[in-house]
Amino acid sequence: MTAKQLGQAQADGRAPINRAEVLRRASVLSGVVVLFVVFSSLSSTFYQPSNLLDILLQSSISAITAVAMTLVIMTKGIDLSVGSIAGLSSMVAADVATSAGVGLAIFAGLGVGLICGFLNGVMIAKLKLPDFIVTLGTLSIFRGAALIYTDGQPIYGLPPLFRDIFAGQLLGIPTPVLIAVGIALLGYVVVAFTGLGERIIATGGNEEAARLSGINIDAIKVTVYTISGALSSIAGFVLIARIGAAEPIGGQGFELQAIGSAVIGGASLFGGIGNPLGSLVGAVTLGALQNGLTLINVPSFWQFVASGAVVILAVLADRLTRKQR
Amino acid sequence: MTIAQISRDAGEPLMAMRAIEKSYGPVVVLKGVDLILRPGEVHGLLGENGAGKSTLMRIVFGLAQPDRGTIELAGKGTVRIESPRHALSLGIGLVSQELSLVPQLDVAQNIFLGSTQALHAIPRPELKRKAAEILAELAPHIDCSASVGSLGMADRQLVEIARTLARGGEIIAFDEPTSSLTPTEQENLFKVIAKLREAGKGIIYISHRMSEIRAICDVITVLRDGQVIMTDRTDAHDTDTINSMITGRELSNATSRARHASQSAGPDLLSLDRLTTDRVKSISASVKAGEIFGLAGLVGSGRSALLRAIFGIDPIRSGHLKVAGREVTIKSPSDAIAQGVAYLPEDRRGQAVVPMMSIESNFGLVSLSRYSRFGFIDFARRRAAIRKLSAELSIKPRNIAVPLGHLSGGNQQKVIIARWLATNAKIYLFDEPTRGIDVGAKAEIYELLQRLAAEGAAVVVVSSELPELLYLADRIGIMEDGHLNTVIENSETLTEDRVMKLMTAGVAQ
Repeated sequence: MTAKQLGQAQADGRAPINRAEVLRRASVLSGVVVLFVVFSSLSSTFYQPSNLLDILLQSSISAITAVAMTLVIMTKGIDLSVGSIAGLSSMVAADVATSAGVGLAIFAGLGVGLICGFLNGVMIAKLKLPDFIVTLGTLSIFRGAALIYTDGQPIYGLPPLFRDIFAGQLLGIPTPVLIAVGIALLGYVVVAFTGLGERIIATGGNEEAARLSGINIDAIKVTVYTISGALSSIAGFVLIARIGAAEPIGGQGFELQAIGSAVIGGASLFGGIGNPLGSLVGAVTLGALQNGLTLINVPSFWQFVASGAVVILAVLADRLTRKQR
Repeated sequence: MTIAQISRDAGEPLMAMRAIEKSYGPVVVLKGVDLILRPGEVHGLLGENGAGKSTLMRIVFGLAQPDRGTIELAGKGTVRIESPRHALSLGIGLVSQELSLVPQLDVAQNIFLGSTQALHAIPRPELKRKAAEILAELAPHIDCSASVGSLGMADRQLVEIARTLARGGEIIAFDEPTSSLTPTEQENLFKVIAKLREAGKGIIYISHRMSEIRAICDVITVLRDGQVIMTDRTDAHDTDTINSMITGRELSNATSRARHASQSAGPDLLSLDRLTTDRVKSISASVKAGEIFGLAGLVGSGRSALLRAIFGIDPIRSGHLKVAGREVTIKSPSDAIAQGVAYLPEDRRGQAVVPMMSIESNFGLVSLSRYSRFGFIDFARRRAAIRKLSAELSIKPRNIAVPLGHLSGGNQQKVIIARWLATNAKIYLFDEPTRGIDVGAKAEIYELLQRLAAEGAAVVVVSSELPELLYLADRIGIMEDGHLNTVIENSETLTEDRVMKLMTAGVAQ
C-alpha cells in the first residue's frame, strides 16, 4: 500500500486492508461459491434445504473446535490434542451421565477438558516446550487415558436428557448448530471487545513487545490452551450425543478439521490474526466439501486426501499473503 | 567539482551503481541513488540513521535486491547480486554492523568460515598460520586458537574484519567498523585500509564520526532521505558544510545545547545503589525529576543492559533500586510499570511494535486495564485519549485503525511514546530513541523528551550519537565494560572528543 492510498483510507475513515488480504478473502469466498455451484450441478440433493441444514449439523463439531483452535493459533500456538481431549472428556461424561446424572456429567466432562488444556498450557508456557511436540504428546496420552478408562470398551445408554441438550432441537434448529454459533459469537466478542482479546493478539503478533508492555504472556498462553480444552470437551459432548454412545476413539482427526477451518476462516499460523466467526464459516466450508464428495459418491478414502489438500492450500494462501514483504 | 571531473581524474570504476531504488512496504528507502567506486579509492558514505546507507550496503552485498536501477562491475558488466555468496564470488566483501561470527568456533576457524575451501580441507597448522598472518597487522594481540565466544566486543569486531579481508575481493565495504574499537585498534584498521587502497582495491566506508572520514576517505557521498545530496572530494568541504548536508538543517552545531543543567533540580526520582546484573556491575547513580540523563558508551558497554535491569527484564543479582525515595523490588516489566517506569527499547520492530495490530490497540497495550471495564474495552474513552495524544504528538495517520506496521519509523516511535504517556509514567528509559527515524520526526522526538523532563519526569536516554546526548542531556554517564565510570555535567565546553576519550579510556590503558 502506498502512502497515498493510506492517506485516502484515512480521509474516508475506513481501516485500510491491504491488497493481499482482499485477495485472500476473495479467493476463500470464490472457493465457497465454486464449491456450491459444482456440487449443486453434480447432485440435485446438495442444494436442498434439508441437506444444507445437514451440512451445518455435520460442521458444528469442527466449528466448536475451530473456535478453540483460532484462539490458540492467534497466540502463534497450535493444539493437536483437541480430538483426544474430546474423546477422553466425553468418555468421562458418558460414564458419569449413565451412573450419576446429566448435570454432574457435564460438570465432570468440562472439568476433564479444562485440566487437559491447563496441562498443555503449563507445559508450553512455563516449561517452554514447543507447542507442537507437547500437544502431539498429549494427543497420544489423552487418547491412551480414554482407552484405559474403560479398557477400550464403548459406553452405551446415554440418558435422553443428555442427548436432547447436545443433539436435540430448539425451535426447529438442531442444538449443535446453536451451540456452535453461540460459541463462535462468544469467541468473537472476546477477540474484538475485551482486554483478553487484545492480549491474545499482542502475544501472537509480537510476544516480546507484549511482554515488555507488562502482559503476562505465560498466563495468556495457559488461558487459551485451557479454553481450548474446555471447548474440545463440549465438541466431545455433541459427538457422543449424536451417536448415542461414547467410544474411546471418538474425536480422532478433529485437529486437522479445526486447524483447516481456522485457517480458511482467516486465522494466520504466523500469529496475531484470527476471527472466530470466520472460523465458523471455514468449518461449514470444509463440511460442505465432505458432504458434496459423499453425495457424488467419491470413496471416503479419497475424502481424506481432499480434506488434507484443502487445508494445505489454505495454509499456502496464508503464507503467500501474510508473509509478503 | 562535479562527478564528471572526478571520473577524468581517476581510473575506470570498479563498481557503478545507478539510479538504485528500494522500498520496504510503504517506506521508500532509496530514491534513485548513484554510487561510483574507483580502484584505489576510499569512499566515505555519510548520512543520518535511516538515510539509506545500510540498505545500499545490503544491496551491494546481495542481502537485498533493488526495485529499480543497475549495478555494473568492472570486467563483469551489469550484474544482479543475488546473495552474499554471489557477492563474494564477484569479489565483494562487507563488514557489517551485525556481527555474524560463530562463538563456538575459534578465531582461525571463524576467519576462514565460508571462504572458498571447506574448513576441514585445510590442515589446522596452516589455518592458524594464515589467520595469524591476516591478524598480524590488524590485531596482533588476538590469539588464533581462542574461541570467539571468549572475546570481547572489540576483538569480535576485529575478527569480523579479518574474515572479510581473508576472503579477498576487489571491493570491501565497512559499515561502522569502529563503533566498538579503541583508538589504537582504530589506527591499525586505518593502516590496513591504506594498504588495501595502495593495492588498488575499492573501499566503501560508513561512519558517523567526521574525524575518521577526514582521516581516511578520499571521496565522500552524502545520503539524506534516500537521495544523494553530494559526491565530491573530502577536502573540498569543511566539516560544518558536510554536517548541514547530512542533516538538511543549517549548521546544527554538534555542541549546541537544548538547555542548561541548572534549570532542573527536583528530588531524586530514580536511584540505583550498587545495582548488579550479569551484564552491569555495581552501578550507583540517581536521576532527578525534570532531568535528562544521557548514557554514553561503546556498543556492548552495558548501556542497554542497565535499562533492561531497571525495567525488570534482566534479573538483578544484587544492589538496590529506589523510585521516588522508596525502595522497590522489580522482577518483571509489569513490576516496573506498576512503579511508573516506561521503557522504549532500541529494537522497535522486534520489541515494541505489534505490526498487524491497529494504531489504537498498539497505543493501548500497556493501559489495557485503565481503559477497560469488567474486562471489556471502553473504546470511547480510549479513542478520546489517543486522539488527544496523536494531535499533540502530530502522529500522521488520523485513522487509528491502520496497522502500526504500515507507518514510518518516526510515526511508529511516536505511537510507542504515546503508549507510555497514557500510563502516566514518571521515569522514562529511552534506548536509542531516534534510531532509523528521519530528521523531521527526530526533532519532534527531542522536543518531546524535553517536554517530559519539563513536566517533572526523570528521563534516561541511551544513544550512540554523541551530538544527540550533548544536545539533550543535563548529565552524561559514561559506561565501559559494565561499569558506570564517570558522570559529567553537560556544558557548552564539553566536546564530542572528550566524551569519546572517556568512553575508551579504560580499554586504551
